[in-house]
Amino acid sequence: MAIIQIKQVTKTFGEKTALQSVSLDIPEGRIFGLLGPNGAGKTTLIRIINRITIPTSGMVLFEGRPITDEDVARIGYLPEERGLYRKMKVGDQAMYLAQLKGMSRSDAQRELKAWFERFGAQDWWNKKVEELSKGMAQKFQFITTVVHKPSLMILDEPFSGFDPVNAELIRQEILRLKAEGATIILSTHNMESVEELCDEIALINKSRLVVTGGTEEIRRRYGEDNVEIEYTDALLERRTEVVPRAGANARLAELIAQGVTFHGFKEVIPRMNDIFIKLVTEGV
Amino acid sequence: MNISKLWIIISREYLNKVKKKSFLIITFVAPVLFAGLCILPSVILAGAKEEAKKVAVADYTGYVADSLRSSETVLYTNLGDTDLGITPELKPDSEKLTAVLDGSGADAVIAIIPLDSLGGSIAATAYSRKDLGMETSQLIRRDINEAIENRRMADYERETGLNLVEAMESVHSDVNLVPMRVNEDGSVAVSESGVLSILSMILGLGLYMFIMMFCGMVMSSVIEEKSSRVVEVLISSVKATELMFGKIIGVALVAMTQFLLWILLTVGILAVVGAFMGFGNLFGAAMDPTGMATGADLSGMSVIFSTLGTLNYGSLLVCFFLFFVFGYLLYASLYAAIGSAVETEADTQQLQIPLTIPLMIGMFISIYTMKAPDSSLVFWGSMIPFTSPVVMLSRIPFDPPVWQIVLSLALLVATFILMAWFSAKIYKVGVLMFGKKSTFKDLWKWFRQDS
Repeated sequence: MAIIQIKQVTKTFGEKTALQSVSLDIPEGRIFGLLGPNGAGKTTLIRIINRITIPTSGMVLFEGRPITDEDVARIGYLPEERGLYRKMKVGDQAMYLAQLKGMSRSDAQRELKAWFERFGAQDWWNKKVEELSKGMAQKFQFITTVVHKPSLMILDEPFSGFDPVNAELIRQEILRLKAEGATIILSTHNMESVEELCDEIALINKSRLVVTGGTEEIRRRYGEDNVEIEYTDALLERRTEVVPRAGANARLAELIAQGVTFHGFKEVIPRMNDIFIKLVTEGV
Repeated sequence: MNISKLWIIISREYLNKVKKKSFLIITFVAPVLFAGLCILPSVILAGAKEEAKKVAVADYTGYVADSLRSSETVLYTNLGDTDLGITPELKPDSEKLTAVLDGSGADAVIAIIPLDSLGGSIAATAYSRKDLGMETSQLIRRDINEAIENRRMADYERETGLNLVEAMESVHSDVNLVPMRVNEDGSVAVSESGVLSILSMILGLGLYMFIMMFCGMVMSSVIEEKSSRVVEVLISSVKATELMFGKIIGVALVAMTQFLLWILLTVGILAVVGAFMGFGNLFGAAMDPTGMATGADLSGMSVIFSTLGTLNYGSLLVCFFLFFVFGYLLYASLYAAIGSAVETEADTQQLQIPLTIPLMIGMFISIYTMKAPDSSLVFWGSMIPFTSPVVMLSRIPFDPPVWQIVLSLALLVATFILMAWFSAKIYKVGVLMFGKKSTFKDLWKWFRQDS
């Protein structure tokens, strides 16, 4: 079932159209990649889901009914432009943001303590945010995004600013949240993490939805349908060839006749990166 | 509006501001200054009553020293015609002078020398180691002249047989103009428009200052959230309008806290200092109009106190509260809209102008209020909503008609509601606009865009 259904959403700012009748289903319990070049309309779409912006026309359904202000308490949002009150104490700020999401004081306190412990951050509570390092502040912001156990999390470039160790930590947390049943919308330009994490994706370009579907399916659909043959030839040189699937059998027969030693024969799945560039530049 | 969320925003805003060092410093330093201003005149008066100056008089006329009367400030001793070795150039012998000065233990020695045999002109010189001070010299001068005049009048009477003293007294006139003000209810009270003028100016300037100060606080707070980008997270949890009004109300509560602490601390300091230094109750006189107004002495401090005593402090406080709150709300919502359009305080300069100018015009009109409280400029200034809080408050000491106060307030509240609606629309769009510097055209576009 789709947790979020976007129906014919259009948003215009004066003359400028940010989104042109976009329809999209975001399935529950999956990680959904929202892709697109800068200025394509991703942030506008995210803000519409968050009810920060009201669409000019069209509607958003949350669990099958029109989304209301109360539903935003079940959404956790990590914007691309991170921000915290610099002069406020970490603990006070975490409590504030959690309570704005509708948590009671005691619930917020308990959950925050648990998260701080998990991130090894117990001693941050009484520090001011400006005393935290960039990585620490990022982790703290991640905690504030997920502390109220949202059913839907919208993470905009969640890995930016993290070192590889901490990026892995966040990756594991995202997977753990998914395992617990949360739906995650991941907006990122990092195509490797899309391949690795996203079950489904949607690509938006120039205010329009270009493509949506399962990650693997899209990779196949937009792939060149090639296979890769790896062998060592008569001169003992190791070679890799990529040939269209149609001509693969003929080429294999040829190579067998030459008496080469095979190491591998596999389907080539195109990288998300290539599909992204192809779709955006060629305007498919 | 979601009241519980609004409340969470208000309390964060409030606690955050109240815990700031600058708030604590202003809250605790200002009452010391206020109290100082109240106490200072009394201290100066008390300080003026220093020990009486001892003045030894070497009198060569034979009659002046006898009629000099010692007072609280000057104690005269008659040295008679002690030899000071005065030369024909009227200069004393320094050795003899020093001996007399030290011998008599006086602060000053005064030589009174007749310049002709008839005593028509007389020279007086005061010799002292330390300066006698302006007031003491004036006093001594007056005493000497009085002595000489009395002597001359006595001589005149002896020669003519006329009683000049009686004649002088009978022609002397000393009418004191007592300004009384007739109140609405027909009662009559002492008024001193000077005191009311000063009060009017203090109220006008004070309100102007407070509105500027607390609106500035709202604007910085909006800018802080926008420039730190925390605003996007916030408005994904609450509505932008809730955030804006929560902030405005939070700062209003900060202002109320500050006013309350100022009043309590000032009164507290005055009470403690008053009790300690034995000035009596400084406010007692002010709060008891009848005792003072009917008193015979209507000069100086008593007029100030009796004038202050005639004021209705209850209605003054209520007016201050209402005009501050709605004046603040009107400007604070507009300042919030301006804050939402920029990312740094420096960029607000230009956008603030349409707000600072009417507020300043209001302040200038309020200064004019004390000169002409019933002029049409002042009347219109106290009706037009952007200047009215400041101008109307400055009119309150002059007892404007109640209908004018009510009308002014009603217009102010209506304008506030309109401007709050207008500002909220700008704010909603503005806080999410990053990158380029905004202009009035952008603000208008945002207002139109949010429908």
